[in-house]
Amino acid sequence: MGKYILKRLITVIPTLIGVTLIIFLFQRLIPGDPAVAMLGEHASEENVARIREQFGLDKPPFLNRDALVEGDLAGFFDSQYVRYFDRLLHFDLGDSIHRRIPVVDTIKERFPATIELALLAMLIALIVGIPIGILSAARRNSLIDGVTRIGSLIGVSIPIFWLGIMEIMFFSVMLKWLPSGGRLSPGMTIEPVTNLLLLDALLTGNGPGFWDALKHIIMPAIALATIPTAIITRMTRSSMLDVLQEDYIRTASAKGLGERVVLFRHALKNAFLPVITIIGIQIGSLLAGGVLTETIFSWPGIGKWVYDSILGRDYPIVQGVTLLIAVVFLLVNLLVDISYAILDPRISYE
Amino acid sequence: MTEIISEDQLLTEFAVREHRSLWLDAWRRLIANRTAILGLVIVAIFLLTAIGAHFFWEYDPAVDLDYNAKLLAPTFVRNEEGDQVHIFGTDKLGRDIFRRVVHGGWNSLRVGIIAVSISLLIGGILGLLAGFFESTHLNGVEQAVLTSLLGLGCGALPAWIANQPFQALLFMLLGLGSALFSTFMAHRQNLRKVLFGVIGMAIGGLLGLLVAPLVGLVCAVVGLGIGIILAKPISGKAFSSFTMRVMDIILSFPSYLLAIAIVAFLGPGLEKGMIAIGFVGIPVYARLARSAVLSVSQKEYVLASQSIGESHGRILFRHIVPNILSPIIVQATMGLADAILSAAALGFLGLGAVPPIPEWGAMLGDSYKYLSSGAWWAVLFPGLAIMFSVLGFNLLGDGLRDALDPKMRL
Repeated sequence: MGKYILKRLITVIPTLIGVTLIIFLFQRLIPGDPAVAMLGEHASEENVARIREQFGLDKPPFLNRDALVEGDLAGFFDSQYVRYFDRLLHFDLGDSIHRRIPVVDTIKERFPATIELALLAMLIALIVGIPIGILSAARRNSLIDGVTRIGSLIGVSIPIFWLGIMEIMFFSVMLKWLPSGGRLSPGMTIEPVTNLLLLDALLTGNGPGFWDALKHIIMPAIALATIPTAIITRMTRSSMLDVLQEDYIRTASAKGLGERVVLFRHALKNAFLPVITIIGIQIGSLLAGGVLTETIFSWPGIGKWVYDSILGRDYPIVQGVTLLIAVVFLLVNLLVDISYAILDPRISYE
Repeated sequence: MTEIISEDQLLTEFAVREHRSLWLDAWRRLIANRTAILGLVIVAIFLLTAIGAHFFWEYDPAVDLDYNAKLLAPTFVRNEEGDQVHIFGTDKLGRDIFRRVVHGGWNSLRVGIIAVSISLLIGGILGLLAGFFESTHLNGVEQAVLTSLLGLGCGALPAWIANQPFQALLFMLLGLGSALFSTFMAHRQNLRKVLFGVIGMAIGGLLGLLVAPLVGLVCAVVGLGIGIILAKPISGKAFSSFTMRVMDIILSFPSYLLAIAIVAFLGPGLEKGMIAIGFVGIPVYARLARSAVLSVSQKEYVLASQSIGESHGRILFRHIVPNILSPIIVQATMGLADAILSAAALGFLGLGAVPPIPEWGAMLGDSYKYLSSGAWWAVLFPGLAIMFSVLGFNLLGDGLRDALDPKMRL
């Protein structure tokens, strides 16, 4: 078991290097001189030179062969990519071009908001998706099943940014029930403990704060939860249908066990494995989907920040956040693989 | 002169089941499925209106502007002043939304279709080859080609360092030699590695020395490594796992985010959106094609054609491809739905179509800033267009899965 985990951990390393390579290559996609692109057309000569110096853009991208000809072996490795990689090893994602603050600092500040939104969306998706999927499989070809199938297809077809806009239209503009954006009303404060506002409000016993935070988060969370809910419902349903055809389910029913016991104790346990994989994959999509949802609801997480940075052509931020999400995505998949091996004894660890 | 009564004619009277191909059977199952029909109808409506509008309904977005008709609510009858009828209302520049939604379909669907074609073509071929060679040995020619290419690719590094392009050619020859003499010292792999390593070291080192001593040293070390790699001719399995490793790297990004990031750096534009979405989709099709090939590559008909000595190309395209088409068609249909959604997302973020070109996502992105004015129609209709077209492809894909693979029916 430990050997399997170690092996799986080692396979992540080349993938991680590949990921950094792709993100590094982003910079090469910028048409023209990246330094000029970063600063805009009207940048002064010195500023361009300073940015080139700061980001090592005056160095070659991968290896410096000229240094080698001059007999400088260390200089051979002094390149943009090696510098980039070296900075990454020191948890340095570079500085924002416009605000001149380290990207890492802003990530620390904004990531909790994104995590809170993603967690709540996942919670909604699980609470709604799994029971409906089970019910739909248990009552196969009934009206409920039909509605579920069509509903989940619609769920994966709705553009989440459009759903978000329609929510704002209806609940904020027309009914004026819920705020259209932000994380908290102005003047409202919640003592930070974990930086997840809902949790913090509960921990500090801040009733009005909890209510206010809930009112802000509920619309974006629902918008973000649509696709995972639909996918988890479909997956639970089809996985349950597979399991319900097994002999041991028939045996369980035949010996007179109640439907509920058969469904939950015998079937669900075995139907849950594929669902776990899907949940893992969905966590990555939730973080990425945040770019759209957070933009619409002015949610102060990393998604909105990336959007603003794209518009402001603040490339280090886009690179940094993409890397962060890819790494989180990789780690979640790793955890899913490992938990899969733990949960299903039929899977060999070799 | 004489009547010839053909005996064959009599024979054909035999009561045989009407010949139906697999595809005709699938088509019959498809049109027997109500939800699939619904999907088919939706897709047909969108495709026909988009194509029809593009060719027969003139529209020049550059001059479409009418401040007098700004943000009008939908109307179905002409009012007293005889104003134009706008069944979907107008947007903030007074443009008829119905017209833009119909014309937007051309751009939105085109991005989806071209993006899926890119991913399908590249990913499909990669997956096909990876799956096939995972279980089949490379023949002599293939091995020679691949090992030479590997030599050329690896040799490019020392060649670049020393600025001597012909070094790469020498390494290519080394690879070719390794493939041609693959039986030479085959039972003493370590000695073979040493031999090739030394040859590689000599190529890199000696040529590098001509430039500078340090260049010679570095090239010798690199050449040693390349020689050791080339000592063992490429196996099908190595090729397959390398391809899938690269695919895994692309897959380790959430696809939405990778597409957004690529376009953020490339700059906005419909074509760049197509490239980004197409690139992101490549591993999906590669994985699918590979696993589909693996599932049929041990079937009797493939083994039979192998044993009678059919060429690899013929086995692949005559026997394997026709039998793995169905999952790929299903995935491509569903993939179209995804690609349209991603394209709309890019457009919404201002990274797709450049204004004033009509595109559903961009129209939404344009109008949602005017939400507080209560102009619900400006965001409702482009969104509905996205949703229904995506739903159509999803329904069709679901129906196709049932029709093409009755065993998988759930």
